[in-house]
Amino acid sequence: MAIKFAGDFEVKRTPEEVHDFLVDPNKFAALLPDFQGLLIQDSTHFTVRVKVGISHIKGTAEVKMELEQAERPKRAQYKGQGSVAGGNVALTAGFDLSALDGDSGTKVVWQGEAQVFGRLTSMAGGLLEPLGKKQVQKLIDGLQAALR
Amino acid sequence: MSKKDGAKNWVGQALPRKEENRLLRGRGKFADDIKLREMLYLRFVRSPYAHARIVSVDVSAAESLAGVVGTLTGAEIAAQTQPFIEIAPDPGGKIKDYPLAISKVRYQGEPVAAVVAESASLADDAAELVQVEYEALDPVVDAEAALTDRSILHEEAGTNRVWNGVFEYGDVDEAFREAEYVVNIDRMHFHRFSSTPLENNVVIAQWDPKDDRIYYECNNSFPSFAIQFLSAHLGVHIDRIRVETSDIGGSFGIKITSYPQMAVCALASKKAGGRPVKWVETRSEHITSSAHGNERTFRDTRVALDKNGVITALVSRHIDDCGAYPRYEPLGCVIWSQVFPGVYRFKNARIDFTQAVTNKCPVGPNRGYSRMQHLWFLERVVDICGHELGIPTDEIRLRNYIRPEEFPYTTPNGCVYDSGNYPKMLQVAKERIGWDEWKEKQAAARKEGRLIGIGIGTTLDSGTNNFGQSQIVNPGAPFSGNSQGANCKLDIYGEVVVSVGSCPQGQGHETTAAQVVADVLNIHPDRITVRTGFDTERNVHTGFSGTYASQFAVSGLSAVHGAAQKLKAEMKRLAAFLLEAKEDDLEFGTGEQGPEIRATSTGKSINYWGLANVVNVNSAVLPPELYELTLNCRYIWRAPFKVPDKQKKYGNLTLTYASQLHMAVVEIERDTFIPRILDYVAVDDCGTVINPPIVEGQVYGATAHGIGAALMENCVYDEVGNMLTSTFSDYTPITAMNMPKVKYAHIETPSPHSYSGAKGMGEGGAAPIHTISAALQDALFASGIVIDDSFNNGDSLFRAMVAKEISQADKLVRVEKRV
Repeated sequence: MAIKFAGDFEVKRTPEEVHDFLVDPNKFAALLPDFQGLLIQDSTHFTVRVKVGISHIKGTAEVKMELEQAERPKRAQYKGQGSVAGGNVALTAGFDLSALDGDSGTKVVWQGEAQVFGRLTSMAGGLLEPLGKKQVQKLIDGLQAALR
Repeated sequence: MSKKDGAKNWVGQALPRKEENRLLRGRGKFADDIKLREMLYLRFVRSPYAHARIVSVDVSAAESLAGVVGTLTGAEIAAQTQPFIEIAPDPGGKIKDYPLAISKVRYQGEPVAAVVAESASLADDAAELVQVEYEALDPVVDAEAALTDRSILHEEAGTNRVWNGVFEYGDVDEAFREAEYVVNIDRMHFHRFSSTPLENNVVIAQWDPKDDRIYYECNNSFPSFAIQFLSAHLGVHIDRIRVETSDIGGSFGIKITSYPQMAVCALASKKAGGRPVKWVETRSEHITSSAHGNERTFRDTRVALDKNGVITALVSRHIDDCGAYPRYEPLGCVIWSQVFPGVYRFKNARIDFTQAVTNKCPVGPNRGYSRMQHLWFLERVVDICGHELGIPTDEIRLRNYIRPEEFPYTTPNGCVYDSGNYPKMLQVAKERIGWDEWKEKQAAARKEGRLIGIGIGTTLDSGTNNFGQSQIVNPGAPFSGNSQGANCKLDIYGEVVVSVGSCPQGQGHETTAAQVVADVLNIHPDRITVRTGFDTERNVHTGFSGTYASQFAVSGLSAVHGAAQKLKAEMKRLAAFLLEAKEDDLEFGTGEQGPEIRATSTGKSINYWGLANVVNVNSAVLPPELYELTLNCRYIWRAPFKVPDKQKKYGNLTLTYASQLHMAVVEIERDTFIPRILDYVAVDDCGTVINPPIVEGQVYGATAHGIGAALMENCVYDEVGNMLTSTFSDYTPITAMNMPKVKYAHIETPSPHSYSGAKGMGEGGAAPIHTISAALQDALFASGIVIDDSFNNGDSLFRAMVAKEISQADKLVRVEKRV
């Protein structure tokens, strides 16, 4: 089951500042909804623990993340894979950055896809997409707030 | 109860089921009721992916949990076993199937590891601690896409194609040249569904180190087949595997393929030092990973018809989806041809049949196995031709049905239909439903904008297989014919005890076997004890024993009848000696001291205790010439089959052909698009009826199963192989609440192929699926919609009617007129 999400927002920081924020797991990962912990392996790999819950299915997800692309100050892309509640999730999330007219800030165009595998899709298939989109929106809201 | 006035036989009487007293009081013994000393509990760790490489399996956390006795992984299994036997020739024969995944997983829910613990809940907890790292691969969830081999499931086979064969009979090209009309149908699809028995799969295995034997208590419904797979897989001589079954809470064929789980439980027991290991399948495990029915796509169908709408030839290409592992397949690639022309007379046909593996749950024989898909296809063909040519659907059937006077009827592929009267069934169904009245109501309703359709589904329930058909799919297969064994004895105190190698799951074998023996010995069925349940060590069986494929009424009861006749002959010989009478002077009956044999000329009699006493505990009174009498008679019944012609794919594949004709009135609600059944009739012909309530009950059951499949039950997978209907809330099996009132009727055309005239029944031929598709077709044809799928619910009908996504007649069907 694929959940796709995309959108854009503008912040008053420079593209370099936004890029530096996005590729720093200590800053970026902490914005994930229900963030619980982070283990950094190297400059491009880290594992993040988040609480997940859909109705009676509750648990902790461990997601192995990789900074797949880091083209300062234009683009950052993560891919991740993790297990949760009898299932697995594979995700990609990319951010394209461009300077606003007159260097007044940065436009962030984001897009991603989460592919969910396992019984979660059957147990909570109808809830996954709205819930996933809600969580993504929380992340984006957090990003905007942090980059304000 | 006593016989009805004037009735000569117990066969045919509405005898209450002997099993009822035990089962309705909760006194049945099911596999999960069995608790053994030091028993352990097994839980499988299953794949969330439909297709992925296994990078690593880490069981250390699970094994360190207190109460966990051990774990098993695919690597351990591969090191000590052989892959399961494949029935297919190459390329399917090259597939390596183990009960736990070794290097990759091929369907969601495939077992990857097993955990064994002191309690079931501990095993559950420990299973969650097993860490499996996967690398996702491209899944293929559509059989036609699988045949492109862009993503291959089994590298050792080199292709996703399991089997292909062309079944061609008559002069197809000539028939098309002569045709008045040719109807072309682009694509039709029979959906994937399963069975939901009350009791899921259960296995208890003990690999006893003391004698190096494996003991099974389980609810597998074809144990003689399972032990052949297990013996070769485990490297254990077959006589060292004992399988026992007890009461079974439904199977519908799906429990035939539980042998992989049986293997894992045995290996887990071995690893645990011989402690017994129990596995009880959960409901979601059953839905996702036990077995599903075959999904089938029908492509490029061309139908030749004469000017009267009589079908003269048929050409089509069928693609069968068997899921991730063939297991019982590719037998389904030939079993459909037991009913090659359905109930119709056409002689010329060419069907190109291919089976493919996909990243979905493996299939297994599911009620109506392989034939229902084909019969649904034929019924859709007949219906579509009728609508396209403007011939009423009852009329086009009458023009094409095999005629009553043509029985026994030899089909183009050499099957011999024993008996039947399809026009009469149609007539009975029309009378029961009130055909003319409904036609009037339908016309009036249509003027109001209501969508009401009347559908007919004629189907066959072929019973008692000739296993020689396996040689059509694999000429090297060592199977042919069919047999069943039974034993009938007088016990030491004269009780009549019958044992038979079947494992009933609600079919009333204790009752019907008692009726048969009661007629042979002229005693009341209550005086007969019938021991059913499979036991390789203690009960009579053959390599075909089990309960499947609508055959007990023929194979099982013929064996019982044969054993009872042998016993009767021995009893007569013994009584003639003891009563100093001639054998033809003796009559069987019941006297003041119970069942007895009486000399009519002298009035002297001896009861069964007296007879049994002489043979068992008072044998010094016997003369040497009677030493051979045992009053313990075993009989193996064999079906009179020949090995089919493998090249021509020709021969008699089944002994009896029960038939069903269902009729339904269905309305599609304009607001919700939900189809509602307004009226329903089921007419059954299973030849001589042995026990009317048991037959009627099985007709209701098959009708419920079929209505569920037609309207509610669908195994839905998403594009990456997630099964989206893995719980009852999504799979929505039919319940009594969803059942319409079914009007039941039957006709009897006795079979010349069974001693009693009975035909095997119970599977039902999926008549409701054909019938409801036909009724929906009748409701929607005027809207330009063709029903091209066997599953239709409110959502799919919405998409057909409003979103116009599917089933548009102008895209799907094209009629050529040749004049």
